[in-house]
Amino acid sequence: MRAMIIDDSRAMRSILRRIVTDLDFETSEAEHGQAALDQMRAGVVPDVCLVDWNMPVMDGYTFITEVRANPEWRDVTLMMVTTESEQRQIVRALAAGAHEYVIKPFTPDAIVDKLSLLGLVPA
Amino acid sequence: MSAVLPEAEAPESADLLAVTEDVWMALLGDDGVLLPRAVPPGSPFDATAWSAATTISGGWHGVVTVELDEVLARRLTTRMLALPAEEEASDSDVADAVGELVNMVGGNVKSLMPGPSVLSLPAVAAGRAAFSSDSALACRLDLVWQDAPVRVSVHVPQEGPR
Repeated sequence: MRAMIIDDSRAMRSILRRIVTDLDFETSEAEHGQAALDQMRAGVVPDVCLVDWNMPVMDGYTFITEVRANPEWRDVTLMMVTTESEQRQIVRALAAGAHEYVIKPFTPDAIVDKLSLLGLVPA
Repeated sequence: MSAVLPEAEAPESADLLAVTEDVWMALLGDDGVLLPRAVPPGSPFDATAWSAATTISGGWHGVVTVELDEVLARRLTTRMLALPAEEEASDSDVADAVGELVNMVGGNVKSLMPGPSVLSLPAVAAGRAAFSSDSALACRLDLVWQDAPVRVSVHVPQEGPR
């Protein structure tokens, strides 16, 4: 399995990378949505993206709408990992095509549980 | 010195503490707990500090600021980046980690207040935080973690003539 971690914070990418690496995911990273799209267009297409919402250049919501607009990426699972906790925004992200939503701060178990719910790691 | 507003216009201190403790536990939980710290009212943060701020705008307006002791800021960074003990965090790494800290606290403060609102990207500085003269202190926590001081503040726009 391959995970792409999309967050403008290097520290947060490091935390998430350790969690998914422990689950035997291969990882790639991007510091905003546009950089992630560039990687995917260059052929680095992950099984799951862990996406922050508030990022410079391209935010996570826009990234999700861009991914969902491309039929070639329909199998990519999208999980928001963000401080954005307003119900309205959660509904908006899920409606745009996010499969799961994790609010920061989180425990490693919260990420593992969500990946398990998505069938990406054994329950 | 900033005015202090009624609590109705700001997050409750208990809620701000709960948010801060949740973030702290997630990032540094295994190493100890945050404790209250007695500080004279109105006194500036008394440490060489890193400070970070994020602005909430929309249904509610305010600025959430976190100020950290230098040693603590570097320990936080080392922990978040899982750096080896012999490796010192760079200033840009510290800025990144402290920015993510205020992002998490600010995002959760936003969820406590009337919305919808937007959270800005964090602004981080090496040094004490500066506050706009047209803002008022709404809520403040002075805390200590393993002898290192931490201050979390919420400022809101000040009403009345400017």
